[in-house]
Amino acid sequence: MDFSAVSTIASLEAKTNIRNKWTLLLAVAFGILSLAISYFGLVTAGTVGFQGFMRTAASLLNLVLYLIPIVSLSMATLSLTGEKGASELLFSQPVGRIEILLGKLLGLFLSIWTATLFGFGLAGVIIAIKAGTSGLTRYLGFVALAQLLALVFLSLGALVATLAETRAKASGMSLFLWFFFVLFYDLLVMGISFVLREKMANQFIFVSLFGNPVDMVRVSGLMLVGDVSIFGAAGAALMKFLGGQIISNLLLIAALLLWASVPFLVAGRWLRRRDL
Amino acid sequence: MRPHGLERKSFALASTLLLIGLLVTSACRAGDAISKPLVVSKQGPFRSIQEAIHTARAGDTIHVESGFYRGNLILDKQVTLEGVGKPIIHGDGQASVITVTAAGCVLRGFVIESSGTMLVDEDSGILLKSSHNQIEQNELRDVLFGIYLFSADHNLIADNTIRGREYLELGERGSGIHIWNSRDNVIRANSITLLRDGMYFQNAYHTTITGNRVSELRYGIHYMFSDDNKFEDNLFYNNVAGAAIMYSHRIELRRNGFLHNRGFSSFGILFQDSDDCLVEDNLIVDNVVGIFMEALRRSIFQRNLIAANDTAIEIFSSAEGNVFERNNFMANLSPIQLVGKRTTTLWSRLGNGNYWNDYTGYDLDADGIGDVPFKIQNVFEHLEGNYPRLRLYLFSPAAQAIALADKAFPVIEGSKEFDFYPLMKPVVLSVQMPEAGRPPVAGHSSVVVPLLMVALSVFLIVQGKKR
Repeated sequence: MDFSAVSTIASLEAKTNIRNKWTLLLAVAFGILSLAISYFGLVTAGTVGFQGFMRTAASLLNLVLYLIPIVSLSMATLSLTGEKGASELLFSQPVGRIEILLGKLLGLFLSIWTATLFGFGLAGVIIAIKAGTSGLTRYLGFVALAQLLALVFLSLGALVATLAETRAKASGMSLFLWFFFVLFYDLLVMGISFVLREKMANQFIFVSLFGNPVDMVRVSGLMLVGDVSIFGAAGAALMKFLGGQIISNLLLIAALLLWASVPFLVAGRWLRRRDL
Repeated sequence: MRPHGLERKSFALASTLLLIGLLVTSACRAGDAISKPLVVSKQGPFRSIQEAIHTARAGDTIHVESGFYRGNLILDKQVTLEGVGKPIIHGDGQASVITVTAAGCVLRGFVIESSGTMLVDEDSGILLKSSHNQIEQNELRDVLFGIYLFSADHNLIADNTIRGREYLELGERGSGIHIWNSRDNVIRANSITLLRDGMYFQNAYHTTITGNRVSELRYGIHYMFSDDNKFEDNLFYNNVAGAAIMYSHRIELRRNGFLHNRGFSSFGILFQDSDDCLVEDNLIVDNVVGIFMEALRRSIFQRNLIAANDTAIEIFSSAEGNVFERNNFMANLSPIQLVGKRTTTLWSRLGNGNYWNDYTGYDLDADGIGDVPFKIQNVFEHLEGNYPRLRLYLFSPAAQAIALADKAFPVIEGSKEFDFYPLMKPVVLSVQMPEAGRPPVAGHSSVVVPLLMVALSVFLIVQGKKR
């Protein structure tokens, strides 16, 4: 693997995204939304002399769950199914295809990373002023989780872009993927769990968490800002099933990293074999 | 002018009688006060406290000067034991450090440490087996139980500090103040920490508990078969659970704080099989479950602040005929969780409901009461009560979609819990948030990190724009 080529392509990709205003747009949108959530979330709580950091963080989590997957998917598909001329030029260079793919994804990740850093930074200032210092490390962990989610969906976007022949097809598929992971998957799992017997139903739900990166980020995010006790009896059962709090956190992170790398590797294989 | 002879004589007689009278009364007064307190100090006259107690007669006062006194004590006659300059009474490391068997004793101003280790023998700092005692301004540390009231009535326990054995597992420690089979006691302004349970009540009646602070232990109050007790202005915080009140009648909870009680299946206040309780003006903030009620009957909750709990109220259908009025429900993750089909608990009474910060109705006639009844649970929260596993989908887009869909097209038979008179504005509360309930004030360092995040992103964007 030629890492200098990867980094060149990555910085080129990041610069392109900054110049074509994608990053800026995302940063401003994310900044305004998270600012609004943290400000209004904390304003009602402040009047009675206590601060509800957890509820604010949970609302921010919601923003992450909806926005990050769709933004990552569409940025990846748009960038990888670019104009014919540009990609032809790039693929004719003496660089491996997997290097190009990795470089592009890293560049995209850098621009999403920059944009989310802006938004979370603004929200963090408000939270720090209004709710105090205690949650800072948890908050940073929360930001890292959001960015891990971006990495997963960039990787999925790369897979979609290489599988689909055209940009229109790729956009359609990524919209479907977004809908599937954000909404449909959970509804499906809940539905099936009502058909199963009680004990089976619990285990089925626990295992099914690992099939959806959005769920994994939501569960570990809530465990991070609150505590596993936020899920009540279900949380206790989940911890018992996975083997304790530390192990389950490690499992969730490992699974997310797997979700970030496997689609990318499959996309790379596909791309190498394909006749462009 | 010279007085008459007879008058002179009677004058002298009268003055003599007066003098004698005065002498006699003053002598009697001195006798009542028992001339002088017995003094225990390193220099004498008494070197050991137990020796002084042996010598003392009922009603005597013993002053103990500061120093280190080894050995357990037994107060078997009515004495006032007063520490001057915080003398330390260091127990034998077995049984109770001080056992009071005589009524009417006063124990004030000591440091009491090193009790025994047997839970079954009630090994305590102070073991009270008599009535009408006053235990004040003592500091108990390294004790298994703090103060144990064993069939002891009409005692005053005030301004003591009790610290348990941190190195023991929670289950192996004793309670801070343990009251068994006793009545009419007053527990005031004590501070209790690092034990198993803060206050343990069993068959304790007509107790008044005011102004105590209980933190860093398992249950703030562990309570059963005890009626007619009154809790006012106490603070229970950072415990595994706030108060567990079971199998009791007519309990009053007023102006108490139940704050930051977090642990698995934890709660601010738990009620089990109790009735006719009155819960008013309390702060129930940042608990896993604010109020948990199973088989609680005919109880009234008013003007409480129930805020920032994961679940504000977990209620079983066995809770009957309770009333919630003029409470503030704010920033809870879920308002109520109902286990069972429905309850006969009322969420408003005589046109007075509660304030719910999730209420989105309007108030056209501007009477301060929302014109649309507030449906307290959405359909997902309703399902969650009977299928706990669904809680794992808390804040998931799917759960929100189900709730939204049900609002537009109600198909599933949903929750029947309504507040028919929801308040538009929060009730103004008389109680202030205590210091222990507040989050730490923001330091500059905590603002610096997010500011750096913003600066870094701006820097990157500006760099990228450069040719």
